[in-house]
Amino acid sequence: MNTMSSLVSLLIFPAGLTLLVTGMLYEWVDRKLVARFQNRTGPRWFQPFADMVKLFGKEQIMPGTAGRFLFFALPVVAIAGALTASLYVPFLGLQPVHSFAGDLIVTVYLLSLLTMCIGLAGWNTSSRFSLIGATRALTQMFAYEAPFLLALLGPALVAGSWQINEINHYAQSHWMAFTQPVGFIVALIGLMGKLELPPFDSPEAETEIVAGALTEYSGRGLAIFKLGKSIELIVGITLVSAFYLGGLNGPVPFLLKTLLVLVLMTLLKPC
Amino acid sequence: MKHIEENLQKAESLLVDWNKEASHPEPSRLDVVVSVDDLRPAVKALHDSHWGYLSAITGMDLGAESGQLEALYHFCFGAAITTLRVRQPRGADAAVPTIEDIIPPASFFERELREMLGFHITGAKFSERLFIPDDWPEEVYPLRKDFDISQAAPVEGRHADELPEEGVVGGNTFVVPIGPQHPALKEPGHFEFTVDGEIVTGARMRLGYAHRGIEKAAESRNWIQNLYLFERVCGICSHTHAMAYSMGVEQLAKVEVPARAHAIRELVAGLERIHSHLLWLGVAAHEAGFDTLFMYSWRDRETVMNLLERITGNRVNYSANVLGGVKCDIKESLTKAIKEGINFLETRIRHYLQVVTTDAMFLNRTRNVGTISFEEAESFGLLGPTARASGLVRDVRVEAPYGAYRQFPISAVTETNGDLEARCVVRLNELLVSCFAIRTILDNMPDGPLTVKMPRKIPAGETISRVEAPRGELFYYIKSEGGERPARIHVRTPSLCNWVSVLEKAVGRQLADVPMLIAGMDPCFSCNDRLVTVSSGTNRRTWSWSQLREHGIEHYK
Repeated sequence: MNTMSSLVSLLIFPAGLTLLVTGMLYEWVDRKLVARFQNRTGPRWFQPFADMVKLFGKEQIMPGTAGRFLFFALPVVAIAGALTASLYVPFLGLQPVHSFAGDLIVTVYLLSLLTMCIGLAGWNTSSRFSLIGATRALTQMFAYEAPFLLALLGPALVAGSWQINEINHYAQSHWMAFTQPVGFIVALIGLMGKLELPPFDSPEAETEIVAGALTEYSGRGLAIFKLGKSIELIVGITLVSAFYLGGLNGPVPFLLKTLLVLVLMTLLKPC
Repeated sequence: MKHIEENLQKAESLLVDWNKEASHPEPSRLDVVVSVDDLRPAVKALHDSHWGYLSAITGMDLGAESGQLEALYHFCFGAAITTLRVRQPRGADAAVPTIEDIIPPASFFERELREMLGFHITGAKFSERLFIPDDWPEEVYPLRKDFDISQAAPVEGRHADELPEEGVVGGNTFVVPIGPQHPALKEPGHFEFTVDGEIVTGARMRLGYAHRGIEKAAESRNWIQNLYLFERVCGICSHTHAMAYSMGVEQLAKVEVPARAHAIRELVAGLERIHSHLLWLGVAAHEAGFDTLFMYSWRDRETVMNLLERITGNRVNYSANVLGGVKCDIKESLTKAIKEGINFLETRIRHYLQVVTTDAMFLNRTRNVGTISFEEAESFGLLGPTARASGLVRDVRVEAPYGAYRQFPISAVTETNGDLEARCVVRLNELLVSCFAIRTILDNMPDGPLTVKMPRKIPAGETISRVEAPRGELFYYIKSEGGERPARIHVRTPSLCNWVSVLEKAVGRQLADVPMLIAGMDPCFSCNDRLVTVSSGTNRRTWSWSQLREHGIEHYK
């Protein structure tokens, strides 16, 4: 019975499937907002799902020069890292599935695993565009990783704990966006860098290097990387809103606060 | 007119040492026959005394009877044109010396000369192909009169010419290919940028992926059919191509087009310039990652597209021209609609002008990027807005007014900085001038007929017709032998002259600037590719016109 409930909590709710669905809905919100800003109609609500279904149904082509093992393993490692990270955050404002002292550091570095995997994937496929994209992705990591971590450590220091759950509880009585405004701004910008949103999108600058590190990925591999990105988005904004926007103590505050962060990031995007 | 005569006299006195035979085929033109050995000193004399600029090199096969090939070097100075003619026997050893060390952009013209007519260019730096396909057989030249489609069977196993080694620094470099299929280029061209990390150390380009053999095709069509053929050289500036062609043919036929037709031609050209520059603004904004500007400018461009559709019935190949006039009239209700559209567009253009000069993100991508000084612009032989952004006035509408530009003159718009920002500002300011010109024409539209009668056979002779397209000077050389068909039509489009600016300026910049540099000159690939027979993409076989026609009918059944 215990195993059963663990499996459910890992695969269906709150982690796993629910997380994926939420990730794609948030992606839609972002796309729709940008479209409206640009005076376009924008996609319908199920477009990200349709994209996923289409990608999963397509053939995956491996370039002859790529290392076979890494080529197929990297997307899996990337999404596994992102899914594991989601276990430690108060997704939907609920208790994290798992929690231990110092899980903040683990979560942040599990999120970086995705970038590392994308960088490795670019290097592994040895296409010119992928190589340049990978170099850019990894170089850029040095720029945002430290500020982002420091911005998350600010609330941790005030709360006196490096455990996400405890910081979340502490934050429910302290709006740190007001007490640490600089940290909040740095966290937002760092998160945009982590998610490679414009203006941090040079690793996948389509006008010079096509799709950057993922140029050679198609079908399932690309779909899994994209899902990883969606999960990273959810985990990232959950962390930022839990720490800075008065904590997440239920699904309704979760929706309001994370959507606020999402809209803020969309507004900050210069595109 | 006095200026033209003075300039032509000056050219004649400069060329007096090498002049074997001089004539004035038209009042504004001087034709000088020089020998092959005298070509370089003659070109140098014109270049050193700043007598205009090299506008085009036309190659011609004079046919089996005379057994000669001819190369025509056209220099333009305001409205005055001096042509140096060089003749060579038609054999395999026809050769002209290169002039690319004197005039760099000549390299593109010379490569065209070599690939299309089989001139050997003595001393040329490049030997690889620019236009014709990699598997095109050796020593088969499509623009020779005795060319036959059966000669053009693809050669199995012939590979692309090798990369030149120039620009390669150290062992830590590799080549980033951009195109022919690439998200940054919506049209087929191929660039190879050698990069060291993120810095570009070398650049090379290849064209010809969409060659359609238009110049060759023109020789087998009659004068009227050719109008529609040349309109299809380019989808963006179709009107200027048709206008340049019809103006040339009308000059040859010595037909005077009614004033109203001229005015309508300028009106459509003005609207076309608005559509073309707004399209460019969107593309440039997209390359800079500023997609909002892209979406907005293309939304507003719909206004002018709708106007063009209302005037001519078409959105892309307007077909406003006929030989001897225009097809469509501007009625009272249309005048009102155009004015309303222009008023709306003018406010939008002013807004975009403010955006491109104040938006910090966009300025980071444009200010002081790809700066071309006045001297460089002159030596690269730049044309159109790209040249005008560097303070170099190259605008046929101003230098040599044609058609309605004599009655409704416009002023040249220039900037001095020469960077990408200046190119944005020049193009947008030009649109304000166009808006003004369109309003003036609508208010003072001359009355009268739309067309005059044109003869079916055009008298023998040759003429040059120059028109300012949105991208710069468009050059048509038209030769008639008195028949129903032209003997030779040569088109030199502005994009071809402006490539030098990209290749020279990319070196030393960040790779991220390259798409902006390419976009900055507003390249038009259909302008460049118009010469060779069509080969199908999948089975690489050369098709004849009748096969192609059958395929077309079958495909769209």
